[in-house]
Amino acid sequence: MANSLRLYLACIKNTLEAAMCLQNFPCQEVERHNKPEVELKTSPELLLNPLLICRNEAEKCLIETSINSLRISLKVKQADELENILTKKFLRFLSMRAEAFQVLRRKPVQGYDISFLITNYHCEEMQKQKLIDFIIQFMEARYRERNKRLEGVSEHQRTTRCDRVSETVHVKQHLRYYNVTPHCINHSLVG
Amino acid sequence: MAVVDVHRFAESITCHAWSPDHSMVALCPNNTEVHIYKSLSQDQWERLHVLQKHDQIVSGIDWSSKSNKIVSVSHDRNSYVWSLEGGEWVPTLVILRLNRAALCVQWSPKENKFAVGSGAKTVCICYYEQENNWWVSKLIRKRHESSVTSVAWHPNNILLATTSTDGKCRVFSTFIKGVDTKDSKAGSPAETKFGEQILQLDLSYSWAFGVKWSPSGNTLAYVGHSSMIYFVDDVGPSPLAQSVAFRDLPLRDVLFISEKMVIGVGYDSNPMVFAADDTGIWSFIRYIGEKKAASSNSSYSSQFSEAFGKFYGSQSKSATANDASESRGRVHDNCINSIVPLSKAGSPKVMRFSTSGLDGKVAIWDLENMEQELGNQF
Repeated sequence: MANSLRLYLACIKNTLEAAMCLQNFPCQEVERHNKPEVELKTSPELLLNPLLICRNEAEKCLIETSINSLRISLKVKQADELENILTKKFLRFLSMRAEAFQVLRRKPVQGYDISFLITNYHCEEMQKQKLIDFIIQFMEARYRERNKRLEGVSEHQRTTRCDRVSETVHVKQHLRYYNVTPHCINHSLVG
Repeated sequence: MAVVDVHRFAESITCHAWSPDHSMVALCPNNTEVHIYKSLSQDQWERLHVLQKHDQIVSGIDWSSKSNKIVSVSHDRNSYVWSLEGGEWVPTLVILRLNRAALCVQWSPKENKFAVGSGAKTVCICYYEQENNWWVSKLIRKRHESSVTSVAWHPNNILLATTSTDGKCRVFSTFIKGVDTKDSKAGSPAETKFGEQILQLDLSYSWAFGVKWSPSGNTLAYVGHSSMIYFVDDVGPSPLAQSVAFRDLPLRDVLFISEKMVIGVGYDSNPMVFAADDTGIWSFIRYIGEKKAASSNSSYSSQFSEAFGKFYGSQSKSATANDASESRGRVHDNCINSIVPLSKAGSPKVMRFSTSGLDGKVAIWDLENMEQELGNQF
């Protein structure tokens, strides 16, 4: 299992290395504009073929490239209802802080859980290798934390001897792993 | 080592050009200004002038070697010709009549015209009108189906090669009555009037960039985004084309060192040498700088915190840039987007050239002591 994860991540990494050849490119359609072509999709000739890397049906990665921008969309595994909720809350928590991550897209592409948007400006400011490492290590960290969380959940269930634990308790319990303040938790729960 | 001098001028450089005597460099530090630096000594540069007139990023600069004029183009759709008057650079606005960004610019060999490629899918040929004291532009509107990424003048001052993001490379005639004389037309194929397309090359499946003519004008080279470089001999009705694929990331620009040798620069941030053998077959020879494997042996956690730290700005940009250049052992550590010859115009060989890229460095390369390594391709 761990081995196939490594292959999956290596494949994404190599694809990103080849795809992340971006340049400053002004809009052809609107005067004095400069927008990520992968989002606008106004000129089909400025887009490259999108690539889909699948580990299995539940876990896939879509890489869409254009002349000045690149979009990576991830779908992460959600085995059961509980994981579904946890993932949703976690990704929502991240998306709400998208500015801090710079390359995180506020809203994931339809059908995916989280999307990153990398433009030529990111490539100018940051090093390409580090950007790629960030994406890969983000994914890796998510897998690690997911395992940790699942362990935590079963632990919790054992100690409280509850067959059914309310959703809120679960979420509160597990957002602890992200060092979230109570305010943030409320925010993500209510919002 | 082939590198003579490397200097980091800014965070990022979009383009650069050299003064006729190669003592000054004009560059755009990825903003609306053009900075002119003078070389004092090894790695000592003094900023002499800042040319401020554009209001969007400057995408192209060219410095004419005979008339000492700088032309700059920008994404703001404008172009200025700067001339040195009493120690100050005075701009003259060029009416390009563009409604999209200007992307690239080059002076013609005789320096009576310059060509501007644009995002409006057109090419502007600009020339000086004595009566009005004005640079006027004539547009080639036909043919291009996407932005014009690069332009190159044939040594005969008439033919212009262009590359575009529609993947094509085209050659046009730019004969302008009253500017070009009939005799300069000799050598160009057949009857040509302004804007007529001589040739369209359909070799690339992806965007095309960085077109250049060989010193004699017999060979044309350009690159495609699919990690290919194309060489075209006998430009005319029956051209001979060669496509060379290489293993690494795509190129952005090329430069002819001699009739038989080309340097390509691009996303791999290490210049590549291509050469033709005796039978005229082009192939990839080697990298100029030593290519070392990117270090990936640092421990995982530190890499993660490093990558994460970048997003939170806990590390200064310059510090990380220095670390990386040391660890990777290359001259440039980001995409190289322009390569400029440092030789007298019209000389058959280029022994020195400079490269600039998104890492903000300008590197000067000397091939004098590379000759042995590169063999007899010179």
